[in-house]
Amino acid sequence: MALLEVRNVSKHFGGLKAVDEVTLSIEKGQIYGLIGPNGAGKSTLFNCVAGTYAPTMGAIIYDGRDVTGWKPWDICKLRIGRTFQIVKPFQSRTVLYNATVGAFIRTSNRSEAEDRAMEVLRKFHLGDKAGVLAKNLTIADRKRLEMARAMATDPEMLLMDECMAGLRPNEVDETLDVLREIRSQGVTIFMIEHIMRAIMSVSDKITVIQFGRKIMDGTPGEVANDERVIKAYLGESYGAGGDGNVTA
Amino acid sequence: MEFYIQILINGLMTGSYYGLAAMGLTLIFGVIKVINFAHGSMLMVGMFTAYWIVKLTGWHPYAALILVVPMLFIFGYALQGIVIKPILVSQRDVREPTEVIIVTTGVWYILDNLALMVFGAEYRVVPTSLSGQIMLVGDYIIQTPLLYGFITTMVTAGLLMWFLKYTKMGMSIRAASLDRDAASLMGINQYRVYNIAFGIGAAIAGIVGCVLIPFYYVFPTVGVVFDVKCFIIVVLGGLGSIPGALIGGLIVGLIESVFPMFMTSTWTELIVYVVFLAVLFVMPAGLFGEKRDW
Amino acid sequence: MNSGSTKRKTIDTMLKLALAVFVFTIPVWLSSPTYLQILIMLFLFAYLTTTWNLVGGFAGVLPLGHSAYVGIGAYTSTVLFISLGVSPWIGMWAGALIAAVVGVFIGIPTLKLRGAYFALSTMAFGEGIRVLVENTMQLGPFTINGPRGISVPLLPGNNLLAYQFTSKVPYYYIILLMLCVVIFITWWFSRTRPGYYLAAGGEEPEAAQALGVNVARYKVLAMGISCFLTALGGTFLAQLTLYFYPKQILGLDFSFELAFIALIGGRGTIAGPVVGALLLRPVSELTRIYLSSTLPGLHLVIFGLVLILVMLFQPRGLVEPLERAYNWFLDRISGERKEVKS
Repeated sequence: MALLEVRNVSKHFGGLKAVDEVTLSIEKGQIYGLIGPNGAGKSTLFNCVAGTYAPTMGAIIYDGRDVTGWKPWDICKLRIGRTFQIVKPFQSRTVLYNATVGAFIRTSNRSEAEDRAMEVLRKFHLGDKAGVLAKNLTIADRKRLEMARAMATDPEMLLMDECMAGLRPNEVDETLDVLREIRSQGVTIFMIEHIMRAIMSVSDKITVIQFGRKIMDGTPGEVANDERVIKAYLGESYGAGGDGNVTA
Repeated sequence: MEFYIQILINGLMTGSYYGLAAMGLTLIFGVIKVINFAHGSMLMVGMFTAYWIVKLTGWHPYAALILVVPMLFIFGYALQGIVIKPILVSQRDVREPTEVIIVTTGVWYILDNLALMVFGAEYRVVPTSLSGQIMLVGDYIIQTPLLYGFITTMVTAGLLMWFLKYTKMGMSIRAASLDRDAASLMGINQYRVYNIAFGIGAAIAGIVGCVLIPFYYVFPTVGVVFDVKCFIIVVLGGLGSIPGALIGGLIVGLIESVFPMFMTSTWTELIVYVVFLAVLFVMPAGLFGEKRDW
Repeated sequence: MNSGSTKRKTIDTMLKLALAVFVFTIPVWLSSPTYLQILIMLFLFAYLTTTWNLVGGFAGVLPLGHSAYVGIGAYTSTVLFISLGVSPWIGMWAGALIAAVVGVFIGIPTLKLRGAYFALSTMAFGEGIRVLVENTMQLGPFTINGPRGISVPLLPGNNLLAYQFTSKVPYYYIILLMLCVVIFITWWFSRTRPGYYLAAGGEEPEAAQALGVNVARYKVLAMGISCFLTALGGTFLAQLTLYFYPKQILGLDFSFELAFIALIGGRGTIAGPVVGALLLRPVSELTRIYLSSTLPGLHLVIFGLVLILVMLFQPRGLVEPLERAYNWFLDRISGERKEVKS
């Protein structure tokens, strides 16, 4: 049985169909990619799953449960974590504080939560920066903190919105290792990513959307060789010279 | 029946200058996304400027506009450039920096109390050729200065909307109000836009000053009387909306003139607050505000 | 600040102890009731600002109508005392409860609003309460007395049960104790899960929600606690002055002053309100006493200037640089200046 099912989900803003009847299903333990040109509706779909928006139509089924329209904090309690494209650390607080907020979901005891947070921070190589204020971190560290904080909520599934944007190539490689590591802990990953090389190398399955509609889904190999995708996405990118990371 | 129509007329007349007073506030909010708490004090400065010009020259208060409007424009322009801009620069990433609310409150305290120290607490009136005049339209009495105020409000609102819609500067202001970063990427000098928006807001405060001089007292804390009222009006109408400010003003004016028919007049103030909170809870964006701003 | 040397710690503890002893023994050697009154008002404002800070600081919004809850506290306990002879010591809890209920009731719709709208709606609410009280002469069996305000009937001598004392000293200790308790509550609260959630939601609501925080709920909770504690301060003010009226105790100026103190001291910090009150209250009291006849309003001009300067150069408040200075001083005195700046 699929862990997450998105069934015919649409999200309209006024007359704009940001997401239009998208269906996909993610198996437990997968790394699942969601790609598409800018403005295709990827983040909107994410926000529907994460509870930030209620879908206009359609259903979101998690672990056999209809969770359509649930609030973000209830979604989080279902053990779905998420990271934001533009990272949102609690700037004036320490790295440990940030992670502890996440860890509080399993316990109301502060020292337990801090221990758990510390454990996660070490895994993300942030252990020695636990006392640093979040606003003083580098971009790469902020992205890592964003992931660590989400992992501190002990999720079964992680929604990651462009966690590699703006990173240097070696940092991208590091992040890919981190993703594999997260998966090896049994966490299913659903990610949006613009860096083709990255998403192609790590994903088990990919869905491509454009103008809010699903074009296709398949393995990275299938996607990369599909006419429609090349035309809609890769072709356009080459043509416009936009997403300069299409090197795969 | 005639009596009630008279009441309505009075309410609309009063409401129009409330709306005018709120217009500058809503314009500035539209651009900077922050409430200018010094707005009442800018009104006070406008009133004192108008007062002294009329008093010293003996001009018709509407002739004084020629001096008051540019003076207040410069005042607002400078105020934004010197005091508020540094905050906006340092809080570049924040969409609505609370610090600006605080700084403008500081400006409010300074201006009001400087006026108190310089001019004293007394209530001042200056006799003008308009003061106390009335005219009869059919069976209805209309106070001439209020009618002038009504017309001025409509003209100002019209000019302001025209300016925002059709001039290059007006379009820059609207662009900056949609997204200040994007606007600055498109070559709009956002801080200059803010300066000008603030200048226009202050200039409108100057117009209010000239409108009020024939029938209102001038004193250092006169701004506070209008402050809370203006805040309520702009939220009623929708923060950032010029027609909203006008209609919000008319609503408050009507409430203040109609409700005393049914209850002690001191209660009407409460009615205004209740209506305000009710609107805020039911439709937080106000009558004409954009949804994303609340 | 990784210097955990015992010498440094000892000096730190000793300095803090000395400060505590100093503060608690002031009435022993300071006999001037005027100065004692200034100190009492200073502590009261520190107390009220600390309670304001629960919402205004940690929840990240800007309430500008907290005088409403001060007023609710003062009016409730006083009216109960006059009409039913209930001791203010009991009446203050009734006032606190009413304030908490009102705060929650008003917080549920308003705390969902964005910054400017929240600030304005609290301000309108505060003003609404003032107008309401000014227009109420009698509420059932209770005399409210409209704009003229209420006097607490003066009882002869010291009367512990009636919360009335002839000397300022008991008031000094009461408010000092209240301040200590409320600081402790804030400190303790900020280390619990709700405290973390509140601060997280105040800083980045979307991120907090994604971490499982029902942000609005914690803000309402904070509002309830804040209003409850604020009202207790209201009762104290009523008992201290024995006379109050709507324009004073429910006024906009009062609400604004609380916000100013917190902002200048350091919003969302535990020491901020105390530091802010320590800096601003004496300025306002002294200029009011010595300059109000020659230069009315000067203290408010100074307020305004300080506010602007702090926001321009130290937007997080003055606690931060003071803390840095204190740590530097500790390092200096314990001879640990060798650590390299990272």
